[in-house]
Amino acid sequence: MNYRKLTLRSLTKHAVMLALSLFAVFPFYWMIISSFRTEAEMYSSALWPKHWTWDNYADVWRMIPMLDMLGNSTAMSVAQTFFQLGTAILAAYAFSRWTFPGSRVLFLMFALTWLIPFQVTMIPNYVTISAWGWRNTLQGLIAPNLVSAFAIISMTQSFKAFPKGITEAALLDGASSWSILWRMYVPNMKASIASLGILLFINSWNEYFWPLLLTNKLENTVIQIGLQMFMSSDGNAWGPLMAAAVITSVPILAVYLMLQRQIVDSFVKMGLK
Amino acid sequence: MFRQKITSGVLVTFILALILTACGTSGSNNAPATNAGQGSAANSSQGNTGETDKEIVISFYSYILGNSKGGQGAQKLIDEFEAAHPNIRIEGVPVPVADLLGRVQADVATGTPPDVAQLGFGWMDLIANGFGAVPLESLVTQEEWNANFEGFSPKGMELGKYDGHTYGLPFTFSTPVLFYNADLFRQAGLSPDQPPVTWDEVKEAALQINKVTGAEGVHFSGLTPTTGDWIVQSLIGSNSGKIISEDRKTLQFDSPEAIEAISMWRGLVDSGAHDKLNDNEAMEGMIQGKLGMFVMTSAIQGSLLKGAEGTGWELRSAEMPAFAGKPTTPMNSGSALFILSQDPEKQQAAWEFLKFVTSKRGYSIITSEIGYLPLRPEILNEEEYLKDWAAEHPLIEPNIRQLDRLTPAEAFPGANFSQIATILMNAVQTSVLSNADVAETLHAAQAEAQKLMP
Repeated sequence: MNYRKLTLRSLTKHAVMLALSLFAVFPFYWMIISSFRTEAEMYSSALWPKHWTWDNYADVWRMIPMLDMLGNSTAMSVAQTFFQLGTAILAAYAFSRWTFPGSRVLFLMFALTWLIPFQVTMIPNYVTISAWGWRNTLQGLIAPNLVSAFAIISMTQSFKAFPKGITEAALLDGASSWSILWRMYVPNMKASIASLGILLFINSWNEYFWPLLLTNKLENTVIQIGLQMFMSSDGNAWGPLMAAAVITSVPILAVYLMLQRQIVDSFVKMGLK
Repeated sequence: MFRQKITSGVLVTFILALILTACGTSGSNNAPATNAGQGSAANSSQGNTGETDKEIVISFYSYILGNSKGGQGAQKLIDEFEAAHPNIRIEGVPVPVADLLGRVQADVATGTPPDVAQLGFGWMDLIANGFGAVPLESLVTQEEWNANFEGFSPKGMELGKYDGHTYGLPFTFSTPVLFYNADLFRQAGLSPDQPPVTWDEVKEAALQINKVTGAEGVHFSGLTPTTGDWIVQSLIGSNSGKIISEDRKTLQFDSPEAIEAISMWRGLVDSGAHDKLNDNEAMEGMIQGKLGMFVMTSAIQGSLLKGAEGTGWELRSAEMPAFAGKPTTPMNSGSALFILSQDPEKQQAAWEFLKFVTSKRGYSIITSEIGYLPLRPEILNEEEYLKDWAAEHPLIEPNIRQLDRLTPAEAFPGANFSQIATILMNAVQTSVLSNADVAETLHAAQAEAQKLMP
């Protein structure tokens, strides 16, 4: 009786989860099949196109410098994620291990900068970057986003959960603060670092207005602006737009799959210890 | 024909002479610009030596550049201009239309505005007063001005004026037309050769289409704020209403004419002649052949044509419908070119660029490859320009006929121009698509928007 009840419950549970995941996956599916539809079939509601075509992908290739844009997006996102993670690890370590004079105020100030919208800092940043002559350059795109307040805050929260006893034992054994960070904190925090990394990467990848402001040529800009080239006030070129969107989402998926492995691995290791 | 060629030949020589003398008299600063008129032969044979080859770079912000629709046409304009002016380089910067104003604002804030920008007419106040746009008359002599704009649509020229000066040179341009599905007309027992002329006829035809074929009857665009208020202004204007007083101090959203015009629209919806979709949905419905008539800017013609070919129906166009006994006042959607550079040398070079893109050759490219109206309409009758093209593209005719009645859309004054337009658009949407009382809604919008006037 109990057994049957359980199956029924888990069955409904699975049915709900299945429905929800279908619901989540459907837009993605629609994007992919739309990218293979011919123009005539673009507005058809059929789940499976009658005629498949690669034309939309060829159009994307012809109309925008896709490789350059992908390259720029990748370089920008990798660099931003790398630096944001690096600075967040250092700052979070300091905030979580020591209470120094003004540490609370300092942390509060970090938290407050997170609340300031981009539109407020946009013009001052633009003026500075222009004065340095960094318009139309990769370093100009990356520089204002080397540090992320959000990353520091969330990393601090995870670091605070690290057992103090282990840190103290290491200190007694003569380990320096530096080596405690890199040999104990970071390896054990892999999961949270990886998940934060995914978030930061997606954030950088989706950045739109700053690159738009800073770059003058399609060759120098990022893929998100490339997508805009298929939209206009007089209607959108849906086929190529969907094809470009598919290409654009591939790296995000790749990063996710890569880091997800990392997360799972670190869980497994933690279980073994 | 022959005579026409002679006159245009004389005209070209005359303009050329004017350019040379104008530049010659305006001082040594403009020396490089002077050489531009003498053609490329001299320059290329000299090689890259000396002062004369000093390159002037003009940055040009445009929302057509780079876009999959019309981007290649825009690039062609630049390429042909550069080929004719070897010492001027145009650095085209593609900026999506939704972000154009923000980007220019940021660049003005850093003190490095673009030299030339393609911007909307509705932003005129900000462009003239906030961005420091150059009054174009100040760049040339009166004779050159007159000679250059001979044959240019006078109504079109009016649109770029603000406070008596021409700041914007009309560039890409279209008017609202009635697109209709000839197949649905035939199925409903209507003659596609006699499209409706007045709103009463539109209503009748729409109801019949809806009854017989089950398709939606008609959609008048302007129910989505992003469409812009020019089309709503067209409707109110066609009922002899004005959206703002002559002295530009008082808004008139709730004038009797405005209320009557919007009530007519609401009546279309209430009777079932008009769908309850937003503009984008209506556009997609039209493309799929599920909508009988669609009033929208002629700029979407290309998209509709492709859709019609894809789904297999015949697209036709007619003039914007009228209120019985009153002439329509079709207003423009589109953009003008503004010179924002403060450097006299660049201003002259930019002026050369503006002149080229709005020349007969320029408009031939704009019309046939980008899809906007030729503001030099005579090119449609000239063999060397668009005569053959026009014969193959009859859809452009109603648009050309409307050019004589073209009326500038009002740009709202002051810093709150954008909010004022949004209030109007929201009020129209509420009036037309909900059960709200039209007069009350417009009264409320009037009161709210008037507070935002300078």
